[in-house]
Amino acid sequence: MKNDSTYAAREPVYEVVWPLGRSAAGPPMRLSPPILDLSGKTIGELWSHRGDSDAFFPIIRESLRQRFPDIKFVHYDTFGDTHGANEAEVIAGLPGLLRQYAVDAVISGVGV
Amino acid sequence: MLRASVAAEKVGVRSVSLIMSAFMAQARPVAGSLGVGNLPLAEYKGVHGLDSAEEFRDKVATQVVNQIVEGLASYVEVAAPAKDPGPRDIVFRGSLTEVQGHFHYNTWTDGLPVIPPTIEKVEEFLRFTDRFPDEVIGTLLPARCEATVWNVAVNGVMAGCRPEYMPVLLAIVEAMAEPEWRIEDAGSTPAWEPLVIVNGPIVKELDFNYESGTMRVGRQSNTSIGRFARLYMRNVAGLRAGRDETMEKGVIGTTFSVVLAENEDAVGEIGWKPLSVEQGFAAGQSVVSVQSVLFNSLILLDTRMDGAAELVRRIARAWGQGDIAYWSPAGMYYDKWFPLLVVTPAVAKIFARDGWTKDDIKQYLYENCKTTAREAEDGPGIRGTGYSLCQLVEEGKLPREYCASADPERLVPVFRRPETIAVVVSGDPGVGRARGYTNNHEQGARVSKIVKLPVRWKELLDEDRR
Repeated sequence: MKNDSTYAAREPVYEVVWPLGRSAAGPPMRLSPPILDLSGKTIGELWSHRGDSDAFFPIIRESLRQRFPDIKFVHYDTFGDTHGANEAEVIAGLPGLLRQYAVDAVISGVGV
Repeated sequence: MLRASVAAEKVGVRSVSLIMSAFMAQARPVAGSLGVGNLPLAEYKGVHGLDSAEEFRDKVATQVVNQIVEGLASYVEVAAPAKDPGPRDIVFRGSLTEVQGHFHYNTWTDGLPVIPPTIEKVEEFLRFTDRFPDEVIGTLLPARCEATVWNVAVNGVMAGCRPEYMPVLLAIVEAMAEPEWRIEDAGSTPAWEPLVIVNGPIVKELDFNYESGTMRVGRQSNTSIGRFARLYMRNVAGLRAGRDETMEKGVIGTTFSVVLAENEDAVGEIGWKPLSVEQGFAAGQSVVSVQSVLFNSLILLDTRMDGAAELVRRIARAWGQGDIAYWSPAGMYYDKWFPLLVVTPAVAKIFARDGWTKDDIKQYLYENCKTTAREAEDGPGIRGTGYSLCQLVEEGKLPREYCASADPERLVPVFRRPETIAVVVSGDPGVGRARGYTNNHEQGARVSKIVKLPVRWKELLDEDRR
């Protein structure tokens, strides 16, 4: 019977290279400044139009209004479908719309 | 939607992203690939649709909103990314068994053994292109990694391809790198697979099977190149499940598709155009078309080979009004859908004998495959958007024929545009059969690329085969 260690010693050794791709993400980005108090702030709603996940937003609005009475919302219809066939155009248009509506923060959903 | 969150962050607007539990493992690496690994997330703990309305309301109003408030108020540290190895760096040394173990542990393989990608093997592939190894073909989402000529060769070696397949592999990746292909959506829940369709002289030069068992594993070119397409998406686009995180969310999933080669002898014999010509290329050019496939139909015809009118009627009934009708609403909504019909040469000959072209078949399917407005509005892609077909017509997003009346039982076309249906001739020439393939709408649109050959192509092929 062959000696296993002899066989292992004769087995070829492969020096292999990396199969993945170099990251093009660039240096990690700092998040925008945190918002410690949402009173009086304007919140933009960004919706991916997936299933009936828009059901989240009315509940979120109501709950946040109870905690922060002066909070304002910009409805997701303003910004468009963030995951549809025209996603690239919608995303490109976001900066302008966020400025136009003086949005302080966004709630983006929903990953379903 | 994480891309929308990052777009907001880039202009100084703080974000928090809502994610269902099942997608949390995907959210972090995707956010990382977008350059914001610590993007604030608010998790809905539960399975969508399983919680009662009261449970849903309570969880959102408390747990989710608490996380929203915390996420918007949080200070987040930025972590330095790990350094990537260079293309020629040796990342592992070992026996064949040890290499397999290493690759499996790192999820660099699809579960099957790989050919170890040594520098020597990679360089064999590079002989079959005149392009520089470090040429960047594109940046592939969701991992946001560079597709290069070098790493195409690396993954081609691993998949068991032959070096002379390299021009086809490059064309496939060029197609995937096109923004309209939307590779960033290849990890979506419906779980589609790329399908590569090959036309032109390359079919015979690389010995693709286009006859019996055309879509079955077996022939090295069809099988290994099909495997390469999925392996490349896993390794370079990042569409694979890791130990704790994943960019791949195919809920049930399917497996890689072998390459489909069109039988251009049969097509030429009956005066039809090959797919490549329909896609806008000159006859006689070698072309690769890549699109998503979500599922394939049953066999659409049986042994009865009646005339063209009866064949197309049976195809329309079995395919166009069957499972593909269920998936049609998103095609209506997004106006991007690329269904594929494969017919054997015998079926194609009957159509041609009775004066039908590929365009005639597509037009018939468009005119005769219908679904009800009610089913369309309740179907995937429209349900949940809040739109009715008539509202979409009113907004100019659908043609008028989708709102001929307000009757929910009115019939509307399954196929919005006949010209986006592809008819490809392939399969056993001695038997009459057809099969339909459904793509996932705007995800994996049909994109075609020329196969660019090196100047010494013929010479290299001859050398290789001697």
